[in-house]
Amino acid sequence: MIGERDITKVQELVYEMKVEQVMTKDIISVSPHSLMIELRDLLREKRISGVPVVDEGRLVGLVSIEDFIKCLAEGEIDIPIKDRMSINIKTLYNNEPLVQAVEEFDRTGYGRFPVIDRESGELVGIITKGDIVRGLLKKIEIEYHAEEIHRYRASHFFEDIVADKTTLIFQYKVISKDFNRAGQTSSGLKKTLRRMGMPSKVIRRVAIATYEAEMNIVVFTDGGQITARITPQEIRIDIVDSGPGIPDIEKAMQPGFSTAPDWIRELGFGAGMGLPNIKKCSDQMNLDSTVGKGTHLEITFNLNEKMKLGSGNDS
Amino acid sequence: MVLGTIADKLGLEVKTSGGLTAEVTGAYVSDLLSDVIGNSEKGNIWITLQVHPNIIAVATLKELAGIILVNSRQPEEETLKKAEEEQIPLMTTELPTFQVAGRLYKLIGEC
Amino acid sequence: MTVKEIVKILDCRVLTGERNLDSEVKAGCGCDLMSDVLAFIKPGAILLTGLNNPQAIRTAEMSDVGVVCFVRGKQPSEELIALARENEITLLTTSLPMFDACGKLYTNGLVGWSEYKE
Repeated sequence: MIGERDITKVQELVYEMKVEQVMTKDIISVSPHSLMIELRDLLREKRISGVPVVDEGRLVGLVSIEDFIKCLAEGEIDIPIKDRMSINIKTLYNNEPLVQAVEEFDRTGYGRFPVIDRESGELVGIITKGDIVRGLLKKIEIEYHAEEIHRYRASHFFEDIVADKTTLIFQYKVISKDFNRAGQTSSGLKKTLRRMGMPSKVIRRVAIATYEAEMNIVVFTDGGQITARITPQEIRIDIVDSGPGIPDIEKAMQPGFSTAPDWIRELGFGAGMGLPNIKKCSDQMNLDSTVGKGTHLEITFNLNEKMKLGSGNDS
Repeated sequence: MVLGTIADKLGLEVKTSGGLTAEVTGAYVSDLLSDVIGNSEKGNIWITLQVHPNIIAVATLKELAGIILVNSRQPEEETLKKAEEEQIPLMTTELPTFQVAGRLYKLIGEC
Repeated sequence: MTVKEIVKILDCRVLTGERNLDSEVKAGCGCDLMSDVLAFIKPGAILLTGLNNPQAIRTAEMSDVGVVCFVRGKQPSEELIALARENEITLLTTSLPMFDACGKLYTNGLVGWSEYKE
């Protein structure tokens, strides 16, 4: 049994959201009295592999591309659909929670379920795994198209919900010396964490640490990448750049130590507080650097434990 | 008001020797050197977070009365050395900028 | 102290957040170095700064600071104003230098971050 705290927003959503919120409502259906031959164009044009069979609003069967091929092979394409459709169909109700659909997909291995209105008994939609993933993504408002956020693989996302150990991965590119855009990564990450319903104190610590790290990439390196991995237990941020590397890490960690030129200081940065700040905000920090090769900074924030006293900059 | 009185009233730690009899004409608060170069006035006391040796060069150029380093910042060794050379009084406090400026503003207003 | 009172005391121009003037400001912070702001400022404080670039807004955004005031008459760019608006940060500008701005707010009762207890 996992505690309430452990459940990420995404996991909460599969309990909160209903089938009807993500299903496809624009249904293509056929009449049981139509002929099998009529399926040919429909299946080809709509690029679908199965069609619900509806009689006066009621779902009476499901006919698939396999059924059609069989008829074709047997030369019986002029018979009515009702003679060839499957009639024992597993359906879902419109107001069932998504988690129910997830379990049915998992249990049966089917690709789609017709959705029936619990009140009227009429067919109101079709739901696929893709619909669920899209619906969840839309709900947490993750824009796939944004260049900075590479879409994490939807199929994995789905498996993770089933496996109950959701890992969300966000990746961002940070461009060197681009002072106007600097901060966009941290801003994007902060907004995402907020939408996921993380505690605001944790969000603030993550945002500040990531922002400092982002500014380090902008100021000191030739560019780099920031990856955030979010699990129910922790948020881990990896900040990787390709050089020039830090010659003396111990020194770099000292508050006030800086190699920044004056022009950086005039932009409000480079006072030697960045790395100490990051350390102060995070629960764990690893810094690995090779001169000429680059730096890998890994910072972790615990989500499970109660916020420790002294961690974070509210102390 | 002379520098010594200010150091005394605000509880500043004086890091350099001498120069505390200088008359202070006002204060300038900034962490951006270009801003101080452009806008501070002769005889101002400068309140800043910057501990880099270049602050002494700026203070000398602008003939400032002295520098207060805030927020428990300690001057770099080189900064202290230059301060002595150039006779720029350097003081520190654990208070953040807002409070030092606030108290000094009040102090100057009272006399 | 409310934003409205600050606007009055510092004779500010309000660039964004016209509708948030009744919100409460808990402490003051005067700083041009963003790492120090990030390290020490408390959520709900006002950031007074002479740093007229987008990073001042980013810094406020990251540290949950809802009000930023540019000192010494700095006129921010349209992009900066848009960034503030997008992040729901109230943006003010005063012609006073930093020393006077901090001094006036302090003498009117606004505390610094090290005096403010959450």
